[in-house]
Amino acid sequence: MSFAHDLRPSPAPAAVIDFSPEASSLAIRELSLAYGGKPALRNLTLRIPRHRVTAFIGPSGCGKSTLLRVLNRLHDLNDEVVREGEVLLEGQDIHAPGVAVSELRRRVGMVFQAPNPFPMSIHDNVAFGLRLQGGLSKRKRDDIIEWALRSAALWDEVKDRLRASAWSLSGGQQQRLVIARTLAVSPEVLLLDEPASALDPISTLKIEELICNLKSHLTLVLVTHNMQQAARVSDYTAFLQDGELVEYGPTDTLFTNPRLRRTENYITGRMA
Amino acid sequence: MTDTSPPLFVRRRLRQGRDRLATVLVTAGGIGVILALLAIGVFLVVEVVPLFWATGATQVVSPETLWSPLAGGDDSVGHRWDPTASLVEGESPRVSLVPLAWGTLEAAAWALLIAVPLALGAASHSALFMSSRLRSHLKPTLELMEALPGVVIGFVAGLVLAPWVERHLADVLAMLLLLVPGLLLAGSLWSCLPPRLQQVMPLGWAGLWLLPWLLLMVVVAQALSPWLEAWAFDGDLRHWLEARLGLDIAVRNAMIVGMAMGFAVMPSVYALAEDALSGVPRSLAEGAQALGATRWQTLWRVVLPAASPGIFSAVMIGAGRAVGETMIVLMASGNAALMTWNPLDGLRSLAATIAIELPEAGPGGPHYRLLLLAALLLFVFTFLVNTLAELVRTRLRRRYRRLGGGA
Amino acid sequence: MSLESDSRMRVFRGEGPGAWLAAGSVAFSLLALLALLALLAIRGLGHFWPADVALVMLEDGRQLAGERVQEVPLPKETGRERLYRTGNRDLDGTRWDWVAVSAIAAVSKPRDMVVLERRRWGEAIGRLTALESETGERVEGEAAWAALEARLAELTSLRQALDTLRDEVILPRVRALEAGGDVGRELAIANARLRELQAAMEGGQLTLTTADGERLTVPLEQVVRARRPNAMSPLDKIIAWGEGVWRFLSEGPRAANTAGGVWPAIFGTVLMVMLMSILVTPFGVLAAIYLNEVAHQGRLTRLVRIAVRNLAGVPSIVYGVFGLGVFVYGIGGTLDEWFFDAALPSPTFGTGGLLWASLTLALLTLPVVIVATEEGLARIPDQQREGALALGATRLEMLTRVVLPMATPAMLTGVILAVARAAGEVAPLMLVGVAKLAPQVPVDGDFPFLHLDRKFMHLGYHVFDAALHGGDVQAAMPLVYATALLLVLVILVLNLTAIFLRHHLSTRHGVLGRR
Repeated sequence: MSFAHDLRPSPAPAAVIDFSPEASSLAIRELSLAYGGKPALRNLTLRIPRHRVTAFIGPSGCGKSTLLRVLNRLHDLNDEVVREGEVLLEGQDIHAPGVAVSELRRRVGMVFQAPNPFPMSIHDNVAFGLRLQGGLSKRKRDDIIEWALRSAALWDEVKDRLRASAWSLSGGQQQRLVIARTLAVSPEVLLLDEPASALDPISTLKIEELICNLKSHLTLVLVTHNMQQAARVSDYTAFLQDGELVEYGPTDTLFTNPRLRRTENYITGRMA
Repeated sequence: MTDTSPPLFVRRRLRQGRDRLATVLVTAGGIGVILALLAIGVFLVVEVVPLFWATGATQVVSPETLWSPLAGGDDSVGHRWDPTASLVEGESPRVSLVPLAWGTLEAAAWALLIAVPLALGAASHSALFMSSRLRSHLKPTLELMEALPGVVIGFVAGLVLAPWVERHLADVLAMLLLLVPGLLLAGSLWSCLPPRLQQVMPLGWAGLWLLPWLLLMVVVAQALSPWLEAWAFDGDLRHWLEARLGLDIAVRNAMIVGMAMGFAVMPSVYALAEDALSGVPRSLAEGAQALGATRWQTLWRVVLPAASPGIFSAVMIGAGRAVGETMIVLMASGNAALMTWNPLDGLRSLAATIAIELPEAGPGGPHYRLLLLAALLLFVFTFLVNTLAELVRTRLRRRYRRLGGGA
Repeated sequence: MSLESDSRMRVFRGEGPGAWLAAGSVAFSLLALLALLALLAIRGLGHFWPADVALVMLEDGRQLAGERVQEVPLPKETGRERLYRTGNRDLDGTRWDWVAVSAIAAVSKPRDMVVLERRRWGEAIGRLTALESETGERVEGEAAWAALEARLAELTSLRQALDTLRDEVILPRVRALEAGGDVGRELAIANARLRELQAAMEGGQLTLTTADGERLTVPLEQVVRARRPNAMSPLDKIIAWGEGVWRFLSEGPRAANTAGGVWPAIFGTVLMVMLMSILVTPFGVLAAIYLNEVAHQGRLTRLVRIAVRNLAGVPSIVYGVFGLGVFVYGIGGTLDEWFFDAALPSPTFGTGGLLWASLTLALLTLPVVIVATEEGLARIPDQQREGALALGATRLEMLTRVVLPMATPAMLTGVILAVARAAGEVAPLMLVGVAKLAPQVPVDGDFPFLHLDRKFMHLGYHVFDAALHGGDVQAAMPLVYATALLLVLVILVLNLTAIFLRHHLSTRHGVLGRR
């Protein structure tokens, strides 16, 4: 891969599918990002359609997780990150001065690879974000918690022990709790960073079902290293390699009829 | 809830504001606290400087008087520390810091001489041989030992141990002589035990079941000491030391300080050395054992060399503690500013001198500044020693990570 | 030849001599620790046990009575000698008596030997021969003992009434009078009552016949307690022991710190340590949060972190010097010039005191708290922080709602370790405010109730002072043992709490670390 480190222009425009601005929730324009001097993302441009599941696939270290974290500005935590280009959420630049990061993160929720429930009760985990917003009566809050847990298909399993520690749940339940916690603050976009990679097959199946159900009212972005998963749940798939967007299109097309050789090599497992 | 009705909007602004305010406060407070801590060094330097440069009323002490010996005069030959009598008009100042530094280093050296072998022995035993159950209890026990206040150790050393040792000099010598052979004897006796008994008293628990054996050694030593005295020391060790070797014997002396401070310093050296030894990647030790080395050979040839920087830094930390320990030296040393090689004579350390004299020295005077200079010496010494230890430790940790990763 | 090498192999089969020396050093260290603790416990607690009084007849016909203290070999000779604590310092000039064991003809323990604890001159030991009551009646023999016990109980309650009157009625009135209040009449009434009580306590005396036949007359109001240890049952002795421990904990020192209790020292230690922890906790946590959560994690922060760690190793006396130079002479002197001008040249804050001592120890223990808190913060996985941020929490909310609650046990551990260190630290206190004998406790009913400028007593310094500066060190020793034991116990309990907390912490994070 001799081309890995040069800075040639990004891939042919043919690889980018231009959705109409009205139909897209997030728009990424000429985004580059370097981490401590090392480029991690190179000049990415893509739109993410509203109320659909978009999957990012690619080999480890290709920048797919980095891209996800940019969408929710988590890289703000790191001082060594240098970014160029812009990300628009419903037409608004998320990096514009004056944008409240906490409000952005509420609107763009994120679920991580390993379940990370807080060391408090199940109820308090879901109530966490709501309490931050404030201004809700306890009754209203409890209603939202029930709704969120139901949406995350967890309600029936935990309704009798809402006061139990979240750490007493199984890994799959913990991950669904984290999703419920994120849903409770009613985000518009949900970012999922390999949400099932630490889980057993049955829990994975449940999470995947959940993802399919959620797209009725949410825009979902899924990072996964599991191509079957991407094929099963996503509507659109973007293939990234070495921080570049190689190919982006409807999942069916991409998996059955990839335009580029690199994509085909990767999805058929001829990468290494 | 995505609406931006005024209360929500206002609340959001409020949260942002609070966050920014808190960040500023934490930053200011954190930097302030850290600066206050670091101000100690600055303060000492600022206060000591006028000692050497005349500013108004402050008497100037030339730097040479601090370390060069006095010549001539009646009994003031050599290094003398006598600020109260000599820092007056018409007297030449006798304020050599050399005897104090000597006392400090002598006490620290004796303490380390006792603490380091004990600590390293204990550390290697607990890292290599000890059963993990005993080890998980030993560590907190030694931590408790580390927490014993200096004033209590100093009291026991100066008022209980010192008079006892003075009366039982021969017993102490006999115990010292018996300690090593006694332990080796225990080892060879153990090897002769039937395997079943060996399983009841495994080497992993030797730290506990050797206790009664050591007590037995104490009793044997006490019984043997009159013999020893009669045979080797003309019947009276004390007299023999004074007559043959010309050693003065003070009740509170450097040996006592060494024992007490060794006791106080040993746990911190142990803790760090144990960390270093048990941090050596298992693969290394297992590799050596797979080649047929005994555990002790493994320790000596493989683990100790790998952990040597950590052990070095453990000894450094111990040295730092021993140099700065005040109460033990103050209570167990007699505080006579002597410069002798005799371990049975008294000494006076920098820290003890500060504790005794600073409350009486008026602020701003030369005596006050001299004592601050002593404090600065202590500060610089311990700070350097600790920094060295910390750097070595950081490097060691990196090395372990590499070794562990390679395995 | 080969057999020889075989047998050598066998002697240290497997491990060789080094392993045994290493095991020996563990055993030796444990032995030293156990010996120290046992010494403190036995001597410290034994002091309160009402020891039997032995009546010793010597070969030369001399008699003495006292508690046996120790027995040691005679210097330069064979044989042993015993030390008795005979009391009666006003008669003999000393309260100790060394006797060669070989010179003792007989030892008995008569039931009627009485040990008196007096306000002056220490103990008196002898037989009670007569008691003259305050009305002049004279009783002798066994009846005298009964009368003495009754009168002593009376005196105790009178003394309590007197103390209450002085503390709760007279002293506040005197202060009010000083402040210009009109309480002269009330004060006069109270003073009359005081004189009444004092008069009721006066009168009466007892006669004691010592072992060698001398008569000792003691006014009853001088007697604090009377005991006949030889006649006490084990249960009585246990009760007396418990009372002794309680008095030690609850009373003030007497006779230049060689007798009495250590209550002011306990109070001073606890108050100082409490003030210190109030000061050190917020600042230490603040600095740790700054270092771990806010500061840019670059080379400078790493250097600062190493420096802070190293400051934990700087000798405590250096902190004491800093406290004296900056707090006492610097800030204290300035405060005096600004606010306490009237009292100059006698300093108010320009001398060692509670506030400066607490501040100095807070500075001394700051690195401990910072390091412990930082370790706790570093142990919290970043996922928890990201999880909170991803829900729209600001950094402050993430810290206060997720990170700090999780780091609480680490912080507590740090603070407890700091408290344990501060409670045992004496050297810096000698420079910034500890007192041999502080007549006034730093807390009283007088505005502003907590007197930060006052000097205070401290358990550790009490040990140092009573052991090295007391007039009669031999007499003070039991008390020093008891005080040292108390100090060690306090520190052990604090450290055990910290160890327990840390253990709890590591098991909890074990659960968290599970993937």
